[in-house]
Amino acid sequence: MSAFRDRFNRLRGEKADVSAAATADTVIDAESVGNVPAEEHVGVKDLIVEQSDSESPPEWLPYDVRLVRNEMGEFLAKEIRYPLDYHHGHHSFGEWGEAVRALTAFHGDEQVMGAASAGTATASFVPLRSDNVLFLDLETTGLGAGTGNVPFMLGIAYFEGEHYVVRQSIIRHPAEERAMLADLKARLPQFQYLVTFNGRTFDWPLIQSRFIMNGFGSKVWEPLHLDFLHPSRSIWRNTLVSCKLSYVEEERLGVFREDDLPGSEAPGRYFAYLADGDPKPLLDVFRHNEIDMLSLAALAIRFGHLLAGRIGSAVPMPTEAEELVRTGLWLERMGEETSAAPLLANVRRVTDASPSVWNRLAERDKRLGQWEDAISLWNKAASSAERSFLPDWDAHIELSMYYEHKVKDVPQALIYARSALELALEQPLSGRADSKRRKEIDALRHRLDRLMRKAGK
Amino acid sequence: MLRRKTLPQLIEELRGNENIINWHEIQPQESKTRPMPGSVDPRIKAALEKRGIAELYTHQHTAYETVRKGENIVAVTPTASGKTLCYNLPVLQAIAEDDGSRALYLFPTKALSQDQKSELNEIINEMGIDIKSFTYDGDTAPAIRQIVRTVGHIVITNPDMLHSAILPHHTKWISLFSNLKYIIIDELHTYRGVFGSHVANVIRRLQRICKFYGSNPLFICTSATIANPKELAEQLTGQPMRLINDNGAPKGRKHFVFYNPPIVNQPLNLRKSSTVEVNELAKEFLSNKIQTIVFARSRVRVEIILSHLQELTKNEIAAKSIRGYRGGYLPNQRREIEKGLRNGDILGVVSTNALELGVDIGQLQVCIMTGYPGSVASTWQQAGRAGRRHGEALVLMVASNTPIDQYIVQNPEYFFDRSPESARINPENLLILVDHLRCASYELPFKTGEPFGPSDIEEILEYLVEERVLHRVTDSYYWANQSFPASEVSLRSAAQENVIIVDQTETANVKIIGEMDRFSAMTLLHDEAIYLHEGVQFQVEKLDWEHKKAYVREVDVEYYTDANLAVKLNVLDIDKTETRRISSINYGEVRINAIPTIFKKIRLSSFENIGYGPINLPEEELHTSGTWVELTEVDSSIDTKTLEQLLLGIANVLGHIIPIHVMCDRNDIHVVSQIRAEHTQLPTIFIYDHYPGGIGLAEDVYKRFDEIKTAAKNLIKKCPCSDGCPSCIGTQIEGLNAKRMAVEMLGLI
Repeated sequence: MSAFRDRFNRLRGEKADVSAAATADTVIDAESVGNVPAEEHVGVKDLIVEQSDSESPPEWLPYDVRLVRNEMGEFLAKEIRYPLDYHHGHHSFGEWGEAVRALTAFHGDEQVMGAASAGTATASFVPLRSDNVLFLDLETTGLGAGTGNVPFMLGIAYFEGEHYVVRQSIIRHPAEERAMLADLKARLPQFQYLVTFNGRTFDWPLIQSRFIMNGFGSKVWEPLHLDFLHPSRSIWRNTLVSCKLSYVEEERLGVFREDDLPGSEAPGRYFAYLADGDPKPLLDVFRHNEIDMLSLAALAIRFGHLLAGRIGSAVPMPTEAEELVRTGLWLERMGEETSAAPLLANVRRVTDASPSVWNRLAERDKRLGQWEDAISLWNKAASSAERSFLPDWDAHIELSMYYEHKVKDVPQALIYARSALELALEQPLSGRADSKRRKEIDALRHRLDRLMRKAGK
Repeated sequence: MLRRKTLPQLIEELRGNENIINWHEIQPQESKTRPMPGSVDPRIKAALEKRGIAELYTHQHTAYETVRKGENIVAVTPTASGKTLCYNLPVLQAIAEDDGSRALYLFPTKALSQDQKSELNEIINEMGIDIKSFTYDGDTAPAIRQIVRTVGHIVITNPDMLHSAILPHHTKWISLFSNLKYIIIDELHTYRGVFGSHVANVIRRLQRICKFYGSNPLFICTSATIANPKELAEQLTGQPMRLINDNGAPKGRKHFVFYNPPIVNQPLNLRKSSTVEVNELAKEFLSNKIQTIVFARSRVRVEIILSHLQELTKNEIAAKSIRGYRGGYLPNQRREIEKGLRNGDILGVVSTNALELGVDIGQLQVCIMTGYPGSVASTWQQAGRAGRRHGEALVLMVASNTPIDQYIVQNPEYFFDRSPESARINPENLLILVDHLRCASYELPFKTGEPFGPSDIEEILEYLVEERVLHRVTDSYYWANQSFPASEVSLRSAAQENVIIVDQTETANVKIIGEMDRFSAMTLLHDEAIYLHEGVQFQVEKLDWEHKKAYVREVDVEYYTDANLAVKLNVLDIDKTETRRISSINYGEVRINAIPTIFKKIRLSSFENIGYGPINLPEEELHTSGTWVELTEVDSSIDTKTLEQLLLGIANVLGHIIPIHVMCDRNDIHVVSQIRAEHTQLPTIFIYDHYPGGIGLAEDVYKRFDEIKTAAKNLIKKCPCSDGCPSCIGTQIEGLNAKRMAVEMLGLI
């Protein structure tokens, strides 16, 4: 124990000896590694950063990480500026300008409400601009949003002039958290939007909790939140193996990480650093977090293009019917019917797809009262289901319901209900889904009985 | 058809019953009331008046005024004395005065929380004040959790939920913790032993968090009758308490009757089954339409008695009017039964101790207990279920064959004269304390010098730093670990790593039916052991020691198993010693090394040994606190073998007696005799806490040794067997006069 503590104290003692020589600029120009004058790269106004921002603790010197000092204490930070012509996978950051406005669709409701009810907080609704959006991703010491889970690395990013600026803060020990949060707090007011991946349940509540724990109160910043995990799930649930950012970026953003540190190993690296003070194991964490920040921007750009109707140009048209229909329906839910229309039209043109694709679209047509479209899709789904190995009788039921209630053609309804039951019984019962299927079969028998009674009358 | 008999008639008839060995009458008491205090909000006053409460009972009045003065209270309240008003009144008043006020209610179980919520909401609705009260537990829908956290005035939960869900996420509860005025601890007496020791630490954590948010809540506790309510409340909360026990609720006359079933097997001293007797007795009351509650000790027993009663009375009353009640019934079903009992639709109920706690079922006329419930406090709680405010009530305790039952019914003065047991906790138990220091550190960093109960915790925090659980920066200790410590600590398990009992009777429906601490598992869950679970026999097919799982299958056999445990006892530290004429009594720290050797199969009907087998398990070690009695001088006429058997016999009796006196389960305390103790070479009987680090039971034994010794002598003397039976000193002792010798030896100690 004492060795550990000694080592730690020694580190703290050494800090005072940091020489003026440690002025190497910590800002890396991602392409040229050219040094940029300090005034320019700090950029953010009204910062409580003192004059010491050129300092760097010796053990951190080789890694372009500098010391930040404010009234709450000290921590370390690294800033990387990416020029707008930088390509991260398929997209370049220069596309942000044209993509950003369409993202306002995520908060379209607030916009309407704001206009309607002047005087409330939402009345001051500000649309997304290229410079009022904050990207955020944390690396923490544990799982969940409990009070013992500490964000040891805080990655934020924003577009500023001709750059996408990634700023990664790290604390050398838990006592530095307060200073790191004070720095974040000072930067927040200039942003109105927060962009995260799974930040609605994880990163943002955790930051709010840390603000409370460190005495900054519970209402430090109330941004409009764009969490891309949810739309990613809506669109890719059945097309991608997983909707984790690392899968989405490989499959859809053209980003391939090399030797990436799995996020789950980050806490271990940090505890190793806490134990011996050697920053080396943390470099992989910096890199991992940095790519997350870049992919987050690329994903935002992609969603912006989607909402703006640039599918087929800036974003490729999905090849799988499943993704096509899910994207189209998602765009409709976001209020972008015009962008959705060409996708849904494509779905109708597809000749071969799984019954669930037709059914999904038919459900939408049914809701809108477009019965002819719905019937044509159900017919496709029904014949596809009859040829399929997997039992699926949803379309038959829909058709049966349609003929029974809408057209009042009981014999026709009976035909579809019969084939539905045949399909349901085709595959022998086995495994876990049995009880659910039994229920469905019971319901089908019920339906048949009722129809037969009706037909008999 | 015969005319129905009334309860007084039946009581008169019962007086002639030859199996009744004691009849005790408790005199009626008039109500004592005080006018409603002037400070009570008129809306609350009106709502109470609507429910027929125009005045307060004395204890309710004192509780209200004392809390208003800013003092913590513990109110001792028998069943049905209106205890909920002791806390609801000050809480509702505080919220009526200031809408920002918050209160936290802690109940030991989920079912009680539900009851409380319904009762509270009824009053609140009548008050016409917008007070939001919610339960927060595993059943709370995720959608409304957010609402509970932010706008709930009254949050009703249990200690487990507080420990694992609320405290580790306290930042989500900022509105509750910043404005917390009152913490209510109902059923205080249930927080004893290991569970109570854990809960005391959970409350320390709660207090740290309140302090962080700037609140300083008062505690309002209510307890059933125990010997030390004030001490327990103070230990549990770390706060000074005002005791309130001026109970002003009225009581009718109550007859408390001990019934001992007749002996059916003289040599073995076996009596007729208490279950059969209870069936007959309960039938008599039920068929005369007298509302009766029957208590039984296990869930299985409840079901057996229930089906018998429904069968016995099927011609007189509808089966629906006799119901069972136990854990495992669905909440809706329970609510329906409670309501039926209150409004008289249900005539009879057979229950486990689930109905011992403060569930509102109104007042019944007759209570029958199938066997002694295990403690004086528990017995009074169950007895409290019978007894209307006016008119007579009858409580019948039907003794079973166990030594404890027999002791109680044959020594009525023990039961009626002594105060109920003390509830003991030891929040300083090192294992428990360290567990909660981990949880507390996760919740908020510790500062050097910050207190957490009376122990010096600096050393522990430093140790946790060494273990890389905490990280120290100058004067603060920060949590620095990936784990979520609350999930590793269960408030209710006896030891850290329990053996899980897996029932594989049905291959398609393998289920976990229980768990047991490792130490007990060695002798009760070894391969081939017969394990009794709620009255059903299971055979252990495989004990997987490495993974701590015992696989069992239901069987029906005519024997039980009894394992031999080779125990090595080492005294590590002697804290207290009392030297007597030929003996000395000691208390201190002991280490037990135990290894099971063989097990015997013993026929149930005759106690014959019908086989045996080996047990192959590794040695276990337990550090705990113990009390031991050494014989410094022994009558030279007693040979070694006889002495060994006498010690064994006395240890057997102490094993029966001690749990009654220190209010604990049979398994919480162990008694072991040794002809030559390792550290002194003297004949010694060890009594130790069966929990690492001890929970204060052995210390209690040390303090009250003479009382326990006298009780042991009485048990041996009054046992009707000729010279030793399993109910007293056991059957191992050969030759005559074993009982006399044992009593003499106890007398000399």
